Amino acid sequence: MSLLKIDSLTQRFGGLQAVSEFSVDMQGGELMGLIGPNGAGKTTIFNLISGFYQPTEGTITFDGKPTAGLKPHQVTSMGIARTFQNIRLWHDMTVLDNIRIAQHYRLGYTVLDSIIRGKKYRAREARILEIAEELLEAMSLTEVANEFPKNLPYGLQRRVEIARAMSIRPKLLLLDEPAAGLNSKDVEELITLVKGIHDRFDITIFMIEHQMKVVTSLCQWIKVIDFGSTIAEGTPEDIQSNPAVIKAYLGDDNI
Amino acid sequence: MQKYSFNILIAFAAVVLLTLAQYRILDNYIQAVIMFGGINIMMSTSLNLVNGNMGEFTCGHAAFMCVGAYVASILSVVCFGTKFGDPLLPAAASYFVFPVIILIGGFMAALSSILVALPSFKTRDDYLAIITIAVNYMVISAIENMDWVGGSRGFQGMKDTVWAMVDSTPSWLAGENDFPWVLLYVILFTIFDIWVIRRFITSTYGKGVNAVCQDETAAEIMSVNTNKIKTVNFMISAGLAGCAGGLFAHVIGYVNPQSFNILKSTEAMVMVYLGGMGSLSGAVISAVVFTFLLEILRSQALVDFLLAPATFVFPDWEPSAGVIKWVMIPLLLVLIMQFRPEGIMGNKELSDVFPKLKKYYTFK
Amino acid sequence: MDFIIQNIINALQWGSFYALIALGYTLVYGVLRLINFAHGDIFMVGAYIAFFVAGFMLGPALGLSPMVTFLLAVPLTMFLTALVGVTLERVAYRPLRRKGAHRLYVVITALMCGLILEYSNLAVLGASRLKFPELVHKVIWNVGGVTVTNLKVIVIVAAIAVFVILNFIVTKTKIGMAMRGISYDKFAIPLMGIPIDQVIVFTFILGSGFAGLAGLLFAMSYPVLEPFMGMLIGWKAFIAAVVGGIGDIRGAFYGGFLLGFIEVGVVSVFPSTYRDLFAFTILLIILWMKPTGLFGMPQSTKI
Repeated sequence: MSLLKIDSLTQRFGGLQAVSEFSVDMQGGELMGLIGPNGAGKTTIFNLISGFYQPTEGTITFDGKPTAGLKPHQVTSMGIARTFQNIRLWHDMTVLDNIRIAQHYRLGYTVLDSIIRGKKYRAREARILEIAEELLEAMSLTEVANEFPKNLPYGLQRRVEIARAMSIRPKLLLLDEPAAGLNSKDVEELITLVKGIHDRFDITIFMIEHQMKVVTSLCQWIKVIDFGSTIAEGTPEDIQSNPAVIKAYLGDDNI
Repeated sequence: MQKYSFNILIAFAAVVLLTLAQYRILDNYIQAVIMFGGINIMMSTSLNLVNGNMGEFTCGHAAFMCVGAYVASILSVVCFGTKFGDPLLPAAASYFVFPVIILIGGFMAALSSILVALPSFKTRDDYLAIITIAVNYMVISAIENMDWVGGSRGFQGMKDTVWAMVDSTPSWLAGENDFPWVLLYVILFTIFDIWVIRRFITSTYGKGVNAVCQDETAAEIMSVNTNKIKTVNFMISAGLAGCAGGLFAHVIGYVNPQSFNILKSTEAMVMVYLGGMGSLSGAVISAVVFTFLLEILRSQALVDFLLAPATFVFPDWEPSAGVIKWVMIPLLLVLIMQFRPEGIMGNKELSDVFPKLKKYYTFK
Repeated sequence: MDFIIQNIINALQWGSFYALIALGYTLVYGVLRLINFAHGDIFMVGAYIAFFVAGFMLGPALGLSPMVTFLLAVPLTMFLTALVGVTLERVAYRPLRRKGAHRLYVVITALMCGLILEYSNLAVLGASRLKFPELVHKVIWNVGGVTVTNLKVIVIVAAIAVFVILNFIVTKTKIGMAMRGISYDKFAIPLMGIPIDQVIVFTFILGSGFAGLAGLLFAMSYPVLEPFMGMLIGWKAFIAAVVGGIGDIRGAFYGGFLLGFIEVGVVSVFPSTYRDLFAFTILLIILWMKPTGLFGMPQSTKI
């Protein structure tokens, strides 16, 4: 059964067609890339999967269940986690808190419990803390657990954001331009990190990215879109030599 | 043992206060100031949940106090007063039914806050400000149209409940003077209020409130049910404000709708922004400071002194302390906004500023 | 039928005040994204300024006739009230703007300034209400079964005239377009060589000036002044501006009249104590259905 099946997804904002008949079928375990020039509709597709917009046409099915009409937090609790192009961490809370809050959908206790703090609360909070600390350890973030993200270098912040997304224990991880704003050393670390996550946690990753180095090192399969529709797909080698792709990025030779 | 030393200290202070009050060492006026202080603490900490921790901009907090005050007052008079016929319950039940009455008032206030929580799903900031101001006016206006609770003339009879408690005090507790039941309950409820808020906000559940404040979209995507948590937060805030309102009604013995208008809401806002948005210790400290300030400014002598230059130039002018107070308090907040907008504590807690305190109680 | 026409005229007159005040709110909000909570109190200040100006002109020093007083009082009141508004901007809002303070702090400052105006008035002038002198001799016309006074006509005409003038300024003049530009992008405007501070001062001059005019007309129509007269009217006018769609002067204008119609309509059917309750409820329902207001533009954020 496919993990993520998108069928003829179309999104119109008034007169603007942002996404046209986008389809993809991910079985699980893949590391797929989504590339295209600026404004091609990539983030819109992610926003549609996340549940921020409802598609004008087409369906999105995750793990056999349709996501139509679900709110973002419900989509997330199905097992889809996501990072953003501009890092959206909570800067006035510690890294540890950032990670813990991501487990909100499976807290396992009610408001009343949080006030009375009986056995159930304490057990659940201990478990939440345990999961968070394990994750920090796995992503080499234990030293900065009590720091505030705004005080961390950008590359580390990105790592925290990915760790936070992983705290959801997702089956599908959506990465929106994870390498944006990183210097070359951080990019290397990012590639290692994403590869490590993919192998260790056996999850599916769908990634938007502009930096070709990242795309070619990580992705097994790439979809290219422009003006909302798919113009090419294939392995990194196929894509790099595909004339339609080159035209989309670099423009036409014929004036 | 050390971990509980703070709690023991609070309990000890409470007992001392009550004894002093019982033996009239603290006179009625000081008792009233302490009670208003406790009520102000409840007002400011509960508003802080919404305006501070959640970063919303509500301006109608007094509406919830009003609901709590009227519900508690009506129940109180029905149970122990004579306004609606014979008292429903015997006087002996009064001192343990009283807190229940206050809690029911708070509960009804919490329910009424859904009126404000629902719009907050779709709107923020300026729009929410208008909605809350409108709700404040609407609640007052609705009560002014209810003649059976006195309408705009007000409602009284809660003192009967207080007498019932005093008269039925068991002899081992009562001395020669009346036992200060209302003071006791104000202290208990203030502690309850701080305890509830602290526990909620430091749990992972409550941290979701801060997350929504700092980045709602990210919170939503990280599985926080933002609508639900907003509703829960509003309800806790309003519920505690409602309890404060019920206590307020019994301290004074009389309520009227205009005591809960935009001016009361402004008082609560002054305390929150003075203390620092999102800081629980800040809200407590500023409530205490504010109560103190209000009492000081009540002194006509002080006002005359402060305005001496002006009255020298205009000798016919006789400024009244009660009015000047309401020029000085907003002015104070304007100055705070200019020079220290983050308030007394910023968004830190006492244990951040004095780390050694962490030994005695855990805060975060 | 007469009953309806009478009420329509009353609603237009009542709504004119809301419209005039709402226009001030929306101008400042459009340019500064600031709810100038002190605006209702500027209206009150305008009424009091009118009182003292009229009193002085009618008094023994000048001894002018009521009609001349009226004609002179209009520009003088507007000018002086505008001065108050500009002073408020300079002293309270501009320093915060300079520091790049969070919008919330400016809003709180505005709220507090409103309170300071109210209570300073109460402290200085006392609690006794002031009676505004009659300036325009009341002429009552009876058309069919409907009574119209000349004062009511003046108010309605004034509101419409103000709207037309403002519309012209905002759409056809350079500074008007700068005002609209600032509401879209605060940072680009200085880069275009337009001094932001001047535009903002001009906005306050307009908004406060027209609030002053509203104050004068209100005092002439309902000649009892008290320090809190601006509070409730101010809140309601503001809500009317939001319901109309804040930031757009058409929204303020129509929103103000809409509120006038709602209130007069409610009072004609229900006991008058229900007026505020119904007015606020209906406004909230409209806001619930159309959160950006009737003329407002939906603001979307990029995710």
